[in-house]
Amino acid sequence: MIRTPLRPLARILKAREDGEDPGLIERENRRKRRDADRDRKRLRAQGRLLVLGLCFFAAYATIGVRMGILANVEPAEPKVASAGQQIVTQRADITDRNGRILATNLVTRSLYAQPHLMVEPERAARELAALFPDEMDEERLRGWFTGERKFIWLRRQMSPEQMQAVHDIGEPGLLFGPREMRLYPNGPLAAHILGGSRFEKEDVNAAEVIGTAGVEKAFDEYLRDPAQGGAPLALSLDMTVQSAAREVLGGGMRLMNARGAAAVLMDVHTGEVISMLSLPDFDPNDRPRPLASGNDPSESPLFNRAVQGVYELGSVFKIFAVAQAMELGLVNPDTMIDTKGPLVWGRYRIRDFHDYGPTLSVKNVIVESSNIGTAHIAMDIGAERQKDFLASLGFTKPTEIEMVEAPTGKPLLPPKWSEISTMTISYGHGLSASPLHLAAAYSTIVNGGTRVHPTLVKQAGPQNGERIISERTSRASVDMLRAVVTEGTASFGDVVGYEVAGKTGSADKPKPTGGYYKDRVIATFASTFPASDPKYVLIVTLDEGEDTIGSMPRRTAGWTAVPVAAAMIERIAPLLGLRPAVEPSQEAALIPANL
Amino acid sequence: MSYLEYRVQSVPKGLGKVLYLNWALIVLLTAVASTGFLMLYSVAGGSFRPWAEPQMERFAMGMTAMFIVGMVPIFFWRNVAALAYAISIALLVGVELFGTTGMGATRWIDLGFVRLQPSELTKITLVMLLAAYYDWLDINKVSRPLWVLVPLVLVLIPTALVLKQPDLGTAILLVSGSGIVMFAAGVHWAYFAAVIASGVGLVTAVLQSRGTPWQLLKDYQYRRIDTFLDPDKDPLGAGYHITQSKIALGSGGWTGRGFMQGTQSRLNFLPEKHTDFIFTTLAEEFGFVGGLSLLALYALIIVFCISSAMQNKDRFSALLTIGIAATFFLYFAVNMSMVMGLAPVVGVPLPLVSYGGSAMLVLLAAFGLVQSAHVHRPRGRA
Repeated sequence: MIRTPLRPLARILKAREDGEDPGLIERENRRKRRDADRDRKRLRAQGRLLVLGLCFFAAYATIGVRMGILANVEPAEPKVASAGQQIVTQRADITDRNGRILATNLVTRSLYAQPHLMVEPERAARELAALFPDEMDEERLRGWFTGERKFIWLRRQMSPEQMQAVHDIGEPGLLFGPREMRLYPNGPLAAHILGGSRFEKEDVNAAEVIGTAGVEKAFDEYLRDPAQGGAPLALSLDMTVQSAAREVLGGGMRLMNARGAAAVLMDVHTGEVISMLSLPDFDPNDRPRPLASGNDPSESPLFNRAVQGVYELGSVFKIFAVAQAMELGLVNPDTMIDTKGPLVWGRYRIRDFHDYGPTLSVKNVIVESSNIGTAHIAMDIGAERQKDFLASLGFTKPTEIEMVEAPTGKPLLPPKWSEISTMTISYGHGLSASPLHLAAAYSTIVNGGTRVHPTLVKQAGPQNGERIISERTSRASVDMLRAVVTEGTASFGDVVGYEVAGKTGSADKPKPTGGYYKDRVIATFASTFPASDPKYVLIVTLDEGEDTIGSMPRRTAGWTAVPVAAAMIERIAPLLGLRPAVEPSQEAALIPANL
Repeated sequence: MSYLEYRVQSVPKGLGKVLYLNWALIVLLTAVASTGFLMLYSVAGGSFRPWAEPQMERFAMGMTAMFIVGMVPIFFWRNVAALAYAISIALLVGVELFGTTGMGATRWIDLGFVRLQPSELTKITLVMLLAAYYDWLDINKVSRPLWVLVPLVLVLIPTALVLKQPDLGTAILLVSGSGIVMFAAGVHWAYFAAVIASGVGLVTAVLQSRGTPWQLLKDYQYRRIDTFLDPDKDPLGAGYHITQSKIALGSGGWTGRGFMQGTQSRLNFLPEKHTDFIFTTLAEEFGFVGGLSLLALYALIIVFCISSAMQNKDRFSALLTIGIAATFFLYFAVNMSMVMGLAPVVGVPLPLVSYGGSAMLVLLAAFGLVQSAHVHRPRGRA
């Protein structure tokens, strides 16, 4: 910017000649410049304010126009009623795999008052208080009914009898609104899976029901989606099986004095959970409150041991190490493994339950459940490969089962997968996982070797997941598991005709303060049947169960979880449509026909 | 220059100041607040309890505060601007540490006699500090990067604290209110263009981040955005607010159903019917005409503020008036846009009408500052 000089030479010289003070010229020019500057700034500031004003005006205009458009919309009164209707019929039913109702809706009535419509408010208050003496106070009702409020909720739900009684008061200011209730006709039978529901938005015409836990919450949007047209959600559960399993598990839990129990029955090809139980359970129609903070949430009946409970599951893990070693070609069922005990590694010692002598075959490591033998096999595999294999079986992440609680069943992995971790994990210590994890992993091992993801939704066919182990390895693993039942630690598990195969696991419970209890055990039996062509995997877990029939309390799974599982298989296998098969007996074939 | 401008007038003194208050503004504010009382009376089903009565008490308190603030010379307020800002930041931090949680967000601090929402206070103290800053700053330096950076930091500190609560609505109000003050102070266009551009970038980032591990907003905030973009997708779930308020506005029609005749809001269809969504009651009961009248009242308040600011030769006074008017306008505009489905639902009350103590007290005290600027404006030769 070229500025006009404050002291223009020509004028100064002229002023000097005229004898005037040249300073005056400078002062005058300074003033002019300052005035111009101020005017410019003022103009700019006012310009800015004008722009702001225009923006404000534009915003007002937009809002005004929008208001006009909305006001021109058809008065939507009928819509209000239909909005209520929509709420009523909204939530879809939930059924089991055979269409039996697990959750449905029941129309009841709510009660509200509109005092300005009342004829005899005093009498209405008196008689209403007499009808519901426990929850309504005559004084307060009278205050409400004679007061200025125009709308008062009195009761959320009423039985038909109660409604008739209120109706008989004959007061036009007492009104009923339809109200949908979520009903679980089977009570506690599939409590943890279904979860529960509660009222969300409430109005005179209806109340919205939303899921609070379990499948109800996981599928909340689906169940409420009007686009589904009220089609029920079919789960993979079979309620007949679930009912039988609950009876057996409950009985077993009492017999073994266990604190809790869990069971998972899974179809090994489809990953469908046919039955899943966690005891103690609750009635979803009357869902208990969560425990106050500070208490162990896993003590609450709301806690789902099968999905949320992560435990060190013990020797049931051994089959994973052996299957992997066979798959890698490191061993075959007859390879001899060093079982000299104790196995000393640094400051750790690994012991066996009994002394099995200097060596055992791989098959007998499983059958006799040798920790030392499994640890040796795991060392051959190495930490890295073991970790990858267990990850491919799903042990490093929460299961993706369709329940809101699924992410809380997060496996606990060792912070550092060291060599000692590798050894302990091979026999099921140092890694905690849920019974559901175990069911999915066993399904993968026994179904011919393809990955199975657990699901609660009825499936059309097998998952045909990623191949984890070969069919040959799978077959060999099942044969070993079968041998555990026929000649090993799970001899009580043999159910005639259903060729049960499986592995026991008894893990000492960790103390909250560190270390392990000597007398508290999580006993697990992971089984599959029928061994000749595995169709189902059943996991039974007892928390602190003990068999007190003998002179000494016996806590190992072979005495606790196995007999419970056997009783369960005996009950449910026929329900699953399995025919008892008589195993081909070699001895029978060798005996000459005695005709 | 006219003779009048040269007439030497002294700044009014003592109780005589009352005559020089901007009385038009006071009438307008009372009119808006009275509309609020009517609506609160109506949504309570024709009862002063539980909302209308406390609201009136607070309005009386607020008006008193406005008079007191208005009587204090404006230079005092300029001098304490920095202190006020510091106190409100301290309170915001205090909320972080000792606040009580309401409706899923930590926003309140309990002072014993009143539960204060420091974020409300911050809206005003921030505007005060910015006005004082630009009053102090040489006008030729206004657009220099360093001198733009200073107010930016002053804005971002409370914004970050408020976002952490989390209170998206207040954060938006803080940023846009200060932006308007800076714009009025004459900061170069290019800065605003840059901020708007990066704002667009941020919105894109927020939308892109959804579902990724670095997700920037909470899930409920995303659902509100979804709802805003397509309210009919989930009319009974997340779209409930907007669908219901549209129904209320529609059922009001041109002239409304008449006072106390609204069903939509009365029968609990609308959540927060006495707070953020109170306008729906008005629209239902007084229709388009009623809504437009309220709109006109709000517009007049802004007009009076802007004209007062334009007449005021004191830079602090002018900027402060503009800033407070802008904050008031933003409350209104964001709330109305939200209610009428022009913007996502972000929990901003309708100023002076919605039930709520903090906002009303703070806004009226802020209008006290406008009054003080008006009363103590330089007169005569500037």
